[in-house]
This record gives sequence, structure tokens and C-alpha cells, in this order.
Amino acid sequence: MIAPERPDRRETIRYLGGAGVEMNAEMERLMDDCEKQLLACARPKYLYKILELPQDSLTEGEDIRRHLAGCSRAVVMCATLGAEVDRLIRVAQVRDMAQAVVLDAMASVAVEQVCARLDERIMAENPGWFMTFRFSPGYGDYPISLQKTFLRLLDAQRKIGLSVSDSLLLIPAKSVTAVAGLSASPVPRGRRGCAVCSLRETCQYRRNGEHCGFENTVKE
Amino acid sequence: MNTVDLKTLLKNKEFILLDGAMGTLIQKSGAVYDHSPETLNLTRPELITSFHKAYIEAGADIVYTNTFGANAYKLEGSGCSVEEVIAAGIANAKKACEGSDALTALDIGPVGMLLEPAGTLRFEDAYDYFKQQVVAGRDADLIVFETMTDLYELKAAILAARENSDLPIIATMTFERSGRTFTGVSPASAALTLSGLGVTALGVNCSLGPDELEPVVAEMTRYTDLPLIVKANAGLPDPNSNTYDILPDRFAQCVKALLPYGVKFTGGCCGTTPEYIKELKAMLDGEHFQPCPKSTDTAVCSASTAVEINGPRIIGERINPTGKKLFKQALVNNDIDYILTQALSQVSGGAEILDVNVGHPEIDEKKMMVRVLKAIQSVCDAPLQIDATKPEVLEAGLRCYNGKPIVNSVNGEEKSLSAVLPLVKKYGASVVGLTLDENGIPKTAEGRFKIAERIVKRAEAVGIDRRDVYIDCLTLTVSAEQEACRETLKALHRVKTELGCKTCLGVSNISFGLPNRELVNSTFLTMALEEGLDLPIINPNIDAMTGAVRAYRVLANIDKNAAGFIASYNDAPSAPQPQAKAELSLADAVYSGLKNEAAQVTARLLEAADPMDVVNTMLIPALDRVGEDFEKNKIFLPQLIQSANTAQECFDVIKQHLGKSGNESVSKGKIILATVKGDIHDIGKNIVKVLLDNYGYTVVDLGKDVDPQAVVDAAVEQDIRMIGLSALMTTTLKSMEDTIRLVRQTPELQNPDGSSKCVVFVGGAVLTEEYAMKIGADYYCRDAKESVDTAKKVLG
Repeated sequence: MIAPERPDRRETIRYLGGAGVEMNAEMERLMDDCEKQLLACARPKYLYKILELPQDSLTEGEDIRRHLAGCSRAVVMCATLGAEVDRLIRVAQVRDMAQAVVLDAMASVAVEQVCARLDERIMAENPGWFMTFRFSPGYGDYPISLQKTFLRLLDAQRKIGLSVSDSLLLIPAKSVTAVAGLSASPVPRGRRGCAVCSLRETCQYRRNGEHCGFENTVKE
Repeated sequence: MNTVDLKTLLKNKEFILLDGAMGTLIQKSGAVYDHSPETLNLTRPELITSFHKAYIEAGADIVYTNTFGANAYKLEGSGCSVEEVIAAGIANAKKACEGSDALTALDIGPVGMLLEPAGTLRFEDAYDYFKQQVVAGRDADLIVFETMTDLYELKAAILAARENSDLPIIATMTFERSGRTFTGVSPASAALTLSGLGVTALGVNCSLGPDELEPVVAEMTRYTDLPLIVKANAGLPDPNSNTYDILPDRFAQCVKALLPYGVKFTGGCCGTTPEYIKELKAMLDGEHFQPCPKSTDTAVCSASTAVEINGPRIIGERINPTGKKLFKQALVNNDIDYILTQALSQVSGGAEILDVNVGHPEIDEKKMMVRVLKAIQSVCDAPLQIDATKPEVLEAGLRCYNGKPIVNSVNGEEKSLSAVLPLVKKYGASVVGLTLDENGIPKTAEGRFKIAERIVKRAEAVGIDRRDVYIDCLTLTVSAEQEACRETLKALHRVKTELGCKTCLGVSNISFGLPNRELVNSTFLTMALEEGLDLPIINPNIDAMTGAVRAYRVLANIDKNAAGFIASYNDAPSAPQPQAKAELSLADAVYSGLKNEAAQVTARLLEAADPMDVVNTMLIPALDRVGEDFEKNKIFLPQLIQSANTAQECFDVIKQHLGKSGNESVSKGKIILATVKGDIHDIGKNIVKVLLDNYGYTVVDLGKDVDPQAVVDAAVEQDIRMIGLSALMTTTLKSMEDTIRLVRQTPELQNPDGSSKCVVFVGGAVLTEEYAMKIGADYYCRDAKESVDTAKKVLG
């Protein structure tokens, strides 16, 4: 439903904790090879649904209410790279662990890019509306258990093969669920700082006291 | 009470008309429900019955109950039990069927959680979910499993139905435009596997319109003799209006185009209404069922890949401990990765099917067979051959296998025939028949042919197609019995031509005790191929053997235009790899992650230097430099791993060298690694494993989703004092805490003063040092490098 696009190199390196590392030819080759493999088996798919607010069952917690403040509608969405990517990473873990970590990071970047394209489509299909950033279950105090609700609402298992395990892991792993607010008048896009970033503990930028500069991200 | 059943319908009717969508009618009616639409069975029974009735009036012979998601997982939190929702669902359908010959099908969809290896739901647990539904639905006339995307889940469902009910089963899967399901199942694999498991009919439902299903249906029918089911969507939904783009008359015309593929059951899925069923009925009135026998001879498969035995196919023999010290060691140490490496390298070498034998007196063969089969299938697409002598091992393997496997083997002994053949039939496998019996291996071709005949007869008696029996006429060692080779080949030829069976043969035995075994083996292989050998069991990583098969396929006009042959050899390197540059030092090679070069340099160094000197003055310092640079953020994780892997290559060269001079290498100590219960993201743990391995520690890898008790058991049984735990998600940190608590509470892991004997180190993306200490860990490791540092501190 969305053609796979090349994962951003800089982001991939950031995911690998390699911010500030100088790439050598060997690493470039490794990354090129991984990119080829990933593009060959990624099958990006997404779903979304627009709901009128308020939706009490979807807005548990302070953070999400703040995020959706001023919005009259919410877009519930999910996206995945598909099961083949999980398998690719699994096989790489047996064959060559260096490849596996690069593929893993690249796939994380790729699924974020799918979400960015999805954002663009939603905006294009809803002219006159203003949209906040995506906010995912697990960010801040927004309960991760809502993943289950999101997927049921979107009929995601049947429609794009995306499901969630008992311990609330998304399967396929390289997938995202999120909600964004829609408003008829301009709204702040909302801030996604280090506090809600899943990489906060391993991010090399943060360790170095720097910052990734990710779109509208703020340092704590 | 109905006077007809599915069998009668099949016999009496040209076509069997199924119903259309339930969800579409519910949606159109605007009926309101809490939680899930199945609860309407209880809250709005008359509405659901009216939908069934509308389909029966439109001509449906079978209606599906409104129970698609009525399983314990999906109904959780609905306030309704599986039993009451299903009982009400059947009552509603039966009520609608009154006064007609229509049948009620208990409708069952996927559980809603993904099965191992992609997900966490165990095969056995999926079985239990389905069993509950099957038992609750015993008053139905038949069972239908539909909208399945995972063949493994569908196998669990069918076994649950067959073992807990006598009702006939029909099953359909859902394919994408790519021709595969979401989990990668091919139509061929679905057809082969489902036919073997004893369903009455199989086919496709949902996902696409009938105009796009031709490739899927065409592939399915090649691999099955069973009637096909097509229950397509009304085309594609418009995301805004949620209406579908294929109207009833065109829908019927598209289905008509699929009838030549042996379609006997048809109806509609998402977006279809009684109008569609009416049109289908009108279209079918002028048509005749067109049976479509399978056009393939015999084939085996994994979930994604079918291998048709229509010419010589290579079975890889390497997953077998016989005569292999390292393999035995791997079995005893539970080192599954070693076995996976063997699997992948055989497939790279050219194997199309892999034999799997894990028989070893020191291990539980049944448990190991299940574990190894599941692990191989999680990374490898080649169909597998389950190789064991004990029937209970075969059955455990057959149960957990995803696809249609080969059983290796049955023989002419009564005991073997009566134990193995029913298993082969029940699980729909192919089987290798060895031409020996209680009197041993007959000397003559005639004697072996007789046994083959007996095996085939007995197989057919339990309902196994003789084409699924692969006869092994047994290779004897030519240096001991030189005349026996001719007898083997003669028997093979007769089996092939007179019995019409496929043949298989373990080839390597022929040359025991002779020099230049490879030459003898490949010559024998070529002779056997010419006599009609279909399935040589060989080491595919020996070029002469794989090459002989590939060349034979060209010369026998099987590999058309030599396309396969050319593809195999086109990009092979034409010249041997150049020697490493003389000036490259070992330290540089390790630092840059140049595996081949580093191994070559190591070998050269060993000609003059003491092995321990190479380790201590070159390899270890090189690794240390890599580690330091990693900490200083000069290099990053993939480089660290590549360097560590390169050092491993060097260690292997040194180990071999030491082995030659009789020294034993020493491990620095054993460490347990596990990704905790509920967590399946184990890449972090695996990175730690690679590094610890390379730094000389022996890692006991318990895998992912590991029960706390399994960690404790391994520590107690193998007397291990260091345990590493990984968790990726906040939701699974609790399991980490539980595991640590259990380790601390286990008396066998405590010192006399009550303190713990075990050192626990933990890591994972969401973990912090503070939290690690709070849950009782001894060390928090931020990354793989810190794990190695911790191991050095603890074990030295």
C-alpha cells in the first residue's frame, strides 16, 4: 500500500548508537547490503480511522489528553513492514549478527518513514484540518495496553496481519500503533521529547549530552 | 433435524452454495453491540437468524454461524463465555435452516494472536483455544475454519477438530495480491498440507475479489485432488464509503471463470449480501462441476515452499550426530544455533530438503526433535525429513511440523509398519520405506523388491498414496561387499519402474574404508541417478556431489535450457581468493573485521609462533583495542560485532591447530543467557552471546520467552553461577523480576549462609541501573561490551 523507501542512513546510525562514528568502507558495504535485503522483503501496510472526540476509552492518561487538547477528531492508525522483515532479521541472527543489528535498526527507521508517509496521506485526504504529531501507546503515561484496543478498532489482524501478543508486543515487530489529533483550527503539533522516546536509554546523542535533532523533538 | 449431511450434499449436488458475509449485514442493519459482533447471538438472536434465513432463501446450502471470533481470547472482557456464544450461534443458524435442507457450519476464525515462531502463542495453546470452540459447537453439521493466514495455526485447528469431533472439516485461507498470506504461506503449501490433514474441501476466502483469485486457485488445484472452495470478497472496499466495487452479476461471472479449477463450493465474503448468493445460484444452474485432479506427482513442503519430486532433489544429511563430535556436543549443550547454522549452510550448498536426526543417548530425543524442528522452521524454508526410529519421536515431530514433511523411516518389519504408517497417514506426510525387515537386509535385488512391495501394499491399506512412499533400497559398503552395489541399483530400478514409487538413497555409505571417497561417492551417485534415484541423501556442501545432481538434471533433459545449472554456477568466483596482503597485521585484520584475511594471517603466524603467544600478544590486545574504541564511541555496534566474529575465526584456526597437537582448549566459564518470559525480541541477548562466545566463555543459551523455572533448572543442572537476563519491553520487566526472585529463593542456588551462589546481570532497552538494582540484579549492563566486562570481573 506504500512502496518501501530507502531507510535514512543518519537515522539508522543513530539507532545503532553510532552517532559521531566515522563510517568506513566496510561499514558502508554492510549497510548497502542490508538495505538491499530489507527493501526486497519489506511490504509496508497501514490502516487508519478517524473518530470524533471525545473517546474516553482511547484517551487514558494526562499525556494523551494534553496531546489532543483542542482537537475535535482523532486519527487512530497502525503501520507495519510485514512478517517477512521479522524473518529476515531472525535469519541474519544465525548467519551474521553484524548484519542482524544493522537490519534491525534499518527496519525501525523504515517503519517510522512509513508512518511519516501515512501522516502526509491523512493530511492530504483531510484538507482544511490541522494534525498533531503521532502519539503511541507506551509514550509517557499513555498505557501500552491500548495497543490491543487500537488493533481491534482497526481490524488490523485481518486486514494487514498485525497483531499483539499477551505481553503487548506488536507482531510483526517492525510495526507502530499511534493516534494523532485533528483540529479545524491550527494546533501545536505537540512535542515528542527524549522523555517519551523509546531509545532514551541507549541513545548515543543523549549519552554525549547532545541531541538527535529529530523533527520537533525537545531535550529534557 | 436435517435429513442430509455434507457427504450426501457432495454426492447429490453439482455445486454447494455457501452463504455471504455476516459482518456486512450486521453493519448495514446498524445493530449495536458491545465488544464483539458475536455477542449479538445472545442479544439479538432473531436478527442473526433473519440474516441466515435471507441467505438460505437466496439459495445457500450451508450457512456459517456467527461465531468467527468466538474464542476465549477474543471474548475476554465481553462478559460472555465461548460456550454460550457458540451454542446461541448454532441455535440461531439451525432455526433458520428449519424447513430446508441447509446445513449449519460452525464458523471458526483465527485466535487473534500470532503463533510461534513469529509470535508467542504456542502451538499447543492454539490447539486448546480451538478445542474449546469445537467441543462447544458439537451440534453443528460441519466445521469451517476460515480467513486463516498461518498454516501452523490452521494445523492446530484441524487437529483440535479431528481429535475432539467427528464432524467433517472444510478450511479456507486468505491470500494477498502477492499470492501469499500475511505470514508467507503459498497456495501450494496450503493445498498439500490441508489435503494431508484430512479436510473434505479446501480453498480461499476473503482478502481479494474473485477477479483476482485465479493465480491462487490455479496453484492450489495443481497440488490437491480435493474439491476447492472460493468465498471471495465483493472486490475492494472504498476506504471512505466502505462499499465494494464488484456488483453481484459481475461477481458471479468472475466465479464462473474459476470453475474449471475444480471449484465445488462457492459463496461470498466481505461486502457480499443475499443478492450475490442469488446471482451465484443463477449462474451455477447452467454449469457442471469440473473435477480437476492434481497435476503434480508427489511433493513435500514447508509453510512457504513446496518441493515437487519431479526429478532428482537433494536431501541434506548433515543434521545428524552420527560420527560427528561437534554435533553431539551441540546436542548435549542444547546449542541450537549450531544446528541452525548447519541447516542454512546446507541450503546455501544446494539442499532442497533437510534430514533432521537428533538421536543421542544423553538427551531427551523427543523434546529435542520438537525444539530443533521448530527452530529450523523459524529460519529456513526448505521442507524437512523427520528422521527417528522411535514412533513417539516421529509423532511429536509430525505434530509440531509446519507443512508436509517426510518421515524417515518405516521398514518391512511388522512392528514398524503398524506403528509408523498410521502416523504418516494421520499427519499427511510422505514416508521413506527401507527395504529391510526382521531378517535383515536381503542380499538380492529380488528380496529387497519384495519388501518394497509389502511396504507399499501396507501403506495403501491405511490410505497412503503410493506416490508418497519413497523406497530406499539401501547402500552397502562396497569395500566389504563389492557385488552388493549392483543389487542395490537393480532393486532401485525395479521399484521405480514396476512399483511406480519414488526412490531415495543414502549415498555416502558406499565408500567406507576406501581412499578418495568423494570420487567413489559421486560416481555411485551418478549411476544411481541413471537407474532412477529421486532423492539422494548427501552432503550438499561437497561440490562434487551437488554438482553431479545438477549436471545429471541437465543431461537427463530435466533442467530445461540448463537454467538451474547456469543459475547455480554463474556467479561462482572464477579464481581462488587472493592471499592476504603480506603487510596486513592480525590486529588490523581483526580491527577492520576482515574474516578471511584474519584467518589466513593466523594460520601463517602459527607456522612459526606459539599458539598462546598469538592469542595473548595479538588477538586479545586487538579485541581490547576494539572494545576501547567502542567505549570511546570511535566505532559502533556492528563494527564491534564484526571484529568479535573475526577474532572467533582466528580462535577457530588456533583451536584446530591445538587439536592437531593434542591440547584441549579451556573455557573461561559457563554463563546462562535468556530473554525473559513473554519477550520475544532477543536480538540484544544474541549480541551479548556472540561477544561472550568470542571472549572465550561458554554460553548456555536458553532462547527467548523463557520461563523462570527453566533458568533455575539450567543453573542447578549444569552448576552455573552466572546468569544474564534480557528484556526489551516495560511489560516484560516483571518477568525479569520474577526470574531473579526465583533464582534467589531456590535452595540449591544458595550458599550455606543463605546468600545467593549466582551472579545475575541484566540488560535491555527500557532498563535502568536503578531499576535493575531494585529488582535484585547484581549488575546492570548498558550494552554488550559491558556484559563482557562484567563476565571478566566475575569469572576472570
